[in-house]
Amino acid sequence: MSAWKADFRLLFRAPLSVGALLLLFILSALSVAAGLAATARQEAVIDRVEAAQRMDLASVAKDHGKPDGNAGSAAYYTFHLTSDPPSPLAFAALGQRDVQPYVLRVRLLGLQSQLYESETLNPELALPGAFDFAFVLIYLAPLIIIALMHDLVSGEREAGRLRLLVSLPASGRGVWMRRSALRYLLVLGALLVPFVIGAALTRAPVAGTFAIALATALYVAFWLGLALRVTTWGRSSAANGAALVGCWIVLTLLAPALANAVISRAIPVAKGIDLTLAQRELVHRAWDIPKEETFRPFFAKHPEWRDTPPVPGRFHWKWYYAMHEVGDDGVATEVTEYRRSLTAREVWTARLGWFLPAAAVQTILHRTADSDLWAHLAYQRSIEQFHTRLRDFYYPYMFHERPFQMADFEQMPRYQPRPSSASLPMSPMVGLLVLAALVSGAAVTGVRTLSSSAARE
Amino acid sequence: MSLRSARVLRVSAEEWRALVRNRVAMIASLTLAALSVTSAILGMEQRNATEAARARYQATADEAFDAQPDRHPHRMVHYGQFVFRPLSALAFFDPGVDGFTGNTVFLEGHRQNSANFSEARQSSLLLRFGQLTPAFVLQTLAPLLIIFLAFGAIAREREQGTLRLLLAQGLRPSELAAGKLLAHAGVVAAVAAPALLVLAIAALAGWAPPVPSLLMVSGYLVYLTIWAVAALFVSLLVRRARDALLILVAAWMGGVILAPRILPEIAVARIPTPTRIETDVAIHRELKQIGDSHNPDDPYFSEFKAKTLARYGVEKVEELPVQWAGLVGMEGERLTSGLFDRYAREAFAREAEQNRLVRQFGVLSPLIAVRQLSMSLAATDTESHQDFLEQVEQHRYRFVQALNLMQVMKIPNRNAGEDPRISADHWKTLPSFTYRAPDVLQLASERIRANLLVLVCWLAVFLVGCGLAARRLEEAAR
Repeated sequence: MSAWKADFRLLFRAPLSVGALLLLFILSALSVAAGLAATARQEAVIDRVEAAQRMDLASVAKDHGKPDGNAGSAAYYTFHLTSDPPSPLAFAALGQRDVQPYVLRVRLLGLQSQLYESETLNPELALPGAFDFAFVLIYLAPLIIIALMHDLVSGEREAGRLRLLVSLPASGRGVWMRRSALRYLLVLGALLVPFVIGAALTRAPVAGTFAIALATALYVAFWLGLALRVTTWGRSSAANGAALVGCWIVLTLLAPALANAVISRAIPVAKGIDLTLAQRELVHRAWDIPKEETFRPFFAKHPEWRDTPPVPGRFHWKWYYAMHEVGDDGVATEVTEYRRSLTAREVWTARLGWFLPAAAVQTILHRTADSDLWAHLAYQRSIEQFHTRLRDFYYPYMFHERPFQMADFEQMPRYQPRPSSASLPMSPMVGLLVLAALVSGAAVTGVRTLSSSAARE
Repeated sequence: MSLRSARVLRVSAEEWRALVRNRVAMIASLTLAALSVTSAILGMEQRNATEAARARYQATADEAFDAQPDRHPHRMVHYGQFVFRPLSALAFFDPGVDGFTGNTVFLEGHRQNSANFSEARQSSLLLRFGQLTPAFVLQTLAPLLIIFLAFGAIAREREQGTLRLLLAQGLRPSELAAGKLLAHAGVVAAVAAPALLVLAIAALAGWAPPVPSLLMVSGYLVYLTIWAVAALFVSLLVRRARDALLILVAAWMGGVILAPRILPEIAVARIPTPTRIETDVAIHRELKQIGDSHNPDDPYFSEFKAKTLARYGVEKVEELPVQWAGLVGMEGERLTSGLFDRYAREAFAREAEQNRLVRQFGVLSPLIAVRQLSMSLAATDTESHQDFLEQVEQHRYRFVQALNLMQVMKIPNRNAGEDPRISADHWKTLPSFTYRAPDVLQLASERIRANLLVLVCWLAVFLVGCGLAARRLEEAAR
């Protein structure tokens, strides 16, 4: 116990170490605060949009909620609000929530032409990425670990104390293990204390909070192990520092950028544009072909409306919306293809976690916080389900020629935010565990050979 | 004088010899060189593929438009046009915000749609680690290499005791500093050479615009020289090489990794942006306040009706020689577009204000200045995208109004029949969108000048700093 206390005092006597740990703690706290502010801002935006929507809906209801009101024009002019509020853990990993819309209005018209609408966004601010806990953990924590660890062994050698330390009877490798463990716990504490406070404030689920804490512990273990391994090589402190910074550049800047270039080239996603173009052709062609051609696939899908009166003349709302639904159904394969290529990109990124600890942490944090591309796809699917509910709501009015009155505006379906799609991604977690274990094993071997070789000197 | 410059050259040559002998330094430099060339080649290939795909889509969409059958012109207003943003030539070097802005817009009547399908929305979060482009290599990685090569220039001599020796032999500290400076200016040139050579070749081959390319080369050279001179400055000041490295790496971390991420948070928090939906609702409300064309008692449209009837010298709309519904449509489009323009201008102004807040800190981090300069010159900055959106909106208005005019002139005002249509030949007479690539030297002249000025000031400050530190060394040596 006294040895621990002594090492603790030793660590805190070095201004560099204290400064580095304090800096990490401040950065972690700042990032949690910034993340909480960002999610609060998103919630405020949702509230604001809801207020604007209420006003808009009231004015549409006033114009179209007449005793002889028409469901077709009511559906045409009524927008329905959907929103995707941030999950309790989103503050830690904001992910794609800065580029993906989290509020979207849809009408009864074809969904595929409404689903990809993007939000007003200042691209220059999105370009560097968010300052959140994920950023501090992935980029900055390794640098702090490097600062704390790069001269752990070489510093002693340079000070001429190494042989003495190694030859102490009780220590052997114990001294390095103790000092590494001490630094490990302190780094972890500096990172996790602000994060756990943030999670408590947002009442985040325990499992997700634990998963992020575990990923943090493993990632820190990886970098600490790597640093310990390098520092036992017997080079100078400066050389160790340079080698570790090199590793940091490769593992957090270079390799992920390279991997992204490879993935985006291997899995193109132009199909999004293809499906939009195809859907437009389908919908507009309907004006030039006999109405029966549009109704045929529509009635096959909705036999319940088959026996309603035929459409006379040039225009009828029920034909208009049937045409939009048939347009959406016509591109179903393209939609599936498009989503498949998007998910393929995510899947390959998760697989990278087996080699790249940064990619693994990125995947785990954002999957747990439900703020990645999967989350956005889940939001899109929930909009799709809502859109189907809208059809089910409006169609009886149109096909039974029922008037759509003021009271009917009250009956309109309301979008309920989707349940969280957060999950605990096992594969990157196992990958991270394996990487951390391998590196730590190598570090322990390094310490062992160091002790014995130094003892032989 | 010649003796003096001979000494400077000698110092510089010695520094180079030491660097070349340093194996780690050589490996790192060669890796960086390989990276810049690879990223340039990949970037060029990627840019050409993207550009070809967008051109292909544009051609397909235009053909589809021309191939539409006989229709009511208003149907074509809703059929609409698709527009794809062509990629600038220099986007291979710095794609800027292109991955974060959508690159296709759907144009139709009564509505102003957003630019959709941006790369960032369709990629995994790996994109946020940075894109492997020459700009990324030069902005982010190259400064770190330069720091590693230069941090010990003076501090190492001091630590090893050679500094005292050199000064005792009559070498003046200013000559020593000048020599080291010269050596590291050479290092900067060597580090930047591969990427800049690609740029120069592209410009000479007539593939990239020459003046922006040249300005870009100069901008990056100044930026990297700032890091070299800063390293030398710190090396002159501190006692131990280790401390110099620590200070410089911390500066790199703060300026290159941290600041660009923290500043946008501040900008967004200080200057909030209304969402699309709020804007849509507001536009809709304002339109209703102007007037309702379907309401016979509406003051605005009654006046419009009176004016139109007077212009044609008739009593009733049924007597008009042109189609009344079409005229109302044109007036409606004019009103909505006026509102769209106003809201778009406000949104652009807000973005500009946010960006100004971030860019002001170019004074704190030269990365922000060089990034802005590079994007402006590559025509991949926010303003170039806004310029595209403005051109698109102008085209949308012209195209919709041309169709509305066809309705006014070609569709009979009375007894038009059940399903009035006009010949498909008319669609071919409508112009398709042609993007006029902005001349960045005009569009961004102010920003280019301001950012270059910021960079040159940084350089000047460190050069003066080096001069003062060298003088202090002189006093210490005396």
